[in-house]
Amino acid sequence: MCNLIFFVSCQPAAEDVGIRIRWVDKRATGLLIPRQLTPDVSIDSLNQRLSVRLAGNETAMLGQFQRVDNDILFEPLIPLTRGLHYTIWLNDKRLGEIAIPSLNPDDKPTLLAIYPTPDSLPENLLKVYLHFSRPMREGQSPKYVSILKNGTDTLPGVFLDLQPELWNADRTLLTLWLDPGRIKRDLQPNKQLGTPLQTGGSYQVVVSANWPDAQGATLGRSATKSFVTVSRDSLSPDPKQWTIQSPKQESMEPLEVAFGEPLDYSLLTEALHVLDKGGRAVAGKWQPADAEKQGLFKPATPWKAGQYRLKVESRLEDLAGNNLNRLFDRDITRKNAAPTTRPFVERLFRVE
Amino acid sequence: MGTEVANITIQDIAVNPVSKNVYCAVQHSDGTPVLLKVEGDKLSAVSLKDVPFSMLALTNVAAEDAKDQRGGSLRIASISDMGYADGKVMVSGLSNQEFGSTFRSIPFPFTNVQNQASLEIYHAAHGKYETMAPIKTFTTTEIKGKKYLLASYTCTPLVLFPLDELKAGSHVKGRTVSEMGSGNSPLDMVIMKKGDESFLMMANSSRPVFKVNYKNLAAYQGSLTTPVVENFATAGVDFVSLPLTNVVQLDKLDDTHMVLLQRRSNGSLDLWTSNERYL
Repeated sequence: MCNLIFFVSCQPAAEDVGIRIRWVDKRATGLLIPRQLTPDVSIDSLNQRLSVRLAGNETAMLGQFQRVDNDILFEPLIPLTRGLHYTIWLNDKRLGEIAIPSLNPDDKPTLLAIYPTPDSLPENLLKVYLHFSRPMREGQSPKYVSILKNGTDTLPGVFLDLQPELWNADRTLLTLWLDPGRIKRDLQPNKQLGTPLQTGGSYQVVVSANWPDAQGATLGRSATKSFVTVSRDSLSPDPKQWTIQSPKQESMEPLEVAFGEPLDYSLLTEALHVLDKGGRAVAGKWQPADAEKQGLFKPATPWKAGQYRLKVESRLEDLAGNNLNRLFDRDITRKNAAPTTRPFVERLFRVE
Repeated sequence: MGTEVANITIQDIAVNPVSKNVYCAVQHSDGTPVLLKVEGDKLSAVSLKDVPFSMLALTNVAAEDAKDQRGGSLRIASISDMGYADGKVMVSGLSNQEFGSTFRSIPFPFTNVQNQASLEIYHAAHGKYETMAPIKTFTTTEIKGKKYLLASYTCTPLVLFPLDELKAGSHVKGRTVSEMGSGNSPLDMVIMKKGDESFLMMANSSRPVFKVNYKNLAAYQGSLTTPVVENFATAGVDFVSLPLTNVVQLDKLDDTHMVLLQRRSNGSLDLWTSNERYL
């Protein structure tokens, strides 16, 4: 879970009366007010008599006061904002003022990668993943990410404006859906606006430099990913067609699985598993390789000789959202494409 | 709250059906959540410190080796809507990995028995195509004495599911009763009443608030199995676009009054209550 690191530093206050900021993970989560500033205030009346206000503002902030050692700690509902000034009051007497220092301008998040990696993608591409170096602010993607066609035209309504957005737990990986209503054949959005991308097009995903992270620092550099579109992918991934390169026994070599097509970046590290002959999971880590056309499984301990199983969860998807059981968009008038319900598919391999 | 407007996002509003107090779920830009209560024109913070609660973990189909192999999974399920009806808590969820829908119906009060019905929701377009269809928002309702889940997908068709058919592990297809146009994502739905008539009110990301008369829903026996002819129309049950634009949150105060959170043209957000004139 989250590890909170508490440390208190003395920031120069506008008036040095000893009021300090409590920092947690670079966030100003509290103010420490020396008890000698409020000598005659009883513990029970702290919350009635003390208040913190935004400088120049009459309204007391929502928050709690409590005694901590030789200080009175004020914890606001949300962290104090960098660059703003706050005043501390005892009834109508102003005890002091403190400024929350601005962020270090060089301390910026970065966009580590845009997935899928390949530079040629199917027309019915369903998802784009953005991987950031640290937690980002939620709800901002419609403002800061767009798709350009032929280097000039910004395409409107390509991504679905989904609120809340689909972030991973620490808000470093964002999943964006290309509007599924436009990809699904015969739906109104598809008929009115067409598919978001068209075969043979040249596109760029553009991420703006102004995207703020959870602290308020912006990316600082824009990023683009160029790709061309090829015809739609209407086939489910088929593990039977994959090529498995077995590692040597007693080695730490990765197991190499080549899919013959790029698969979903996020699923391919989590929907694949290696089991030993007894059905026990082999400890190790999956990593995408060769522009998500391969998965590499690095074992935690050297391989032992014997038979193994590669277990593939059916939820594994290709770039068009086709999974092992069904197509994203299935033509039910065609009999040969009936969906299945198997939870997983297995392949055997030997380590020698 | 001691910060600037730009750092605050209102994520949801809900009305306590008994006290009529309005609750606002607010998020600070760093992700800190805050719950506020609106009583008249007074705002106060709601502390969840000493609130009694019951809890049930939503079981993901976590891989058997997920724990020892990887620690933190990249996968999360985000809850797109929640509701309570007929002794059951219903939860629709979206995953940040696979495209699809998880809809759970959980008996309440919670028990230790894992009897959640988890459904695969499909969407059939005009009898020709079938796709996975994640539910964005839903409500429950009764039509001609039968109970239904009335849901809207992320791709906006409005669909009906008979509640008694929502059984664990089943592959369910909703009956599409209306397609509501393009470039739009449904936000909230409530059911209102005026005299003998009921209405479904639906807030949308890039459309005005829609009103559907229940008589039309009940009378509509079709299932949009034939292609829609006119390109710029929506299809199925008739609905009215109300002169209510940029409504980002909607809830029911009582049968005839709604609470709305509306973005004004100057950028500010207004919280207000509507009267019967929209019904």
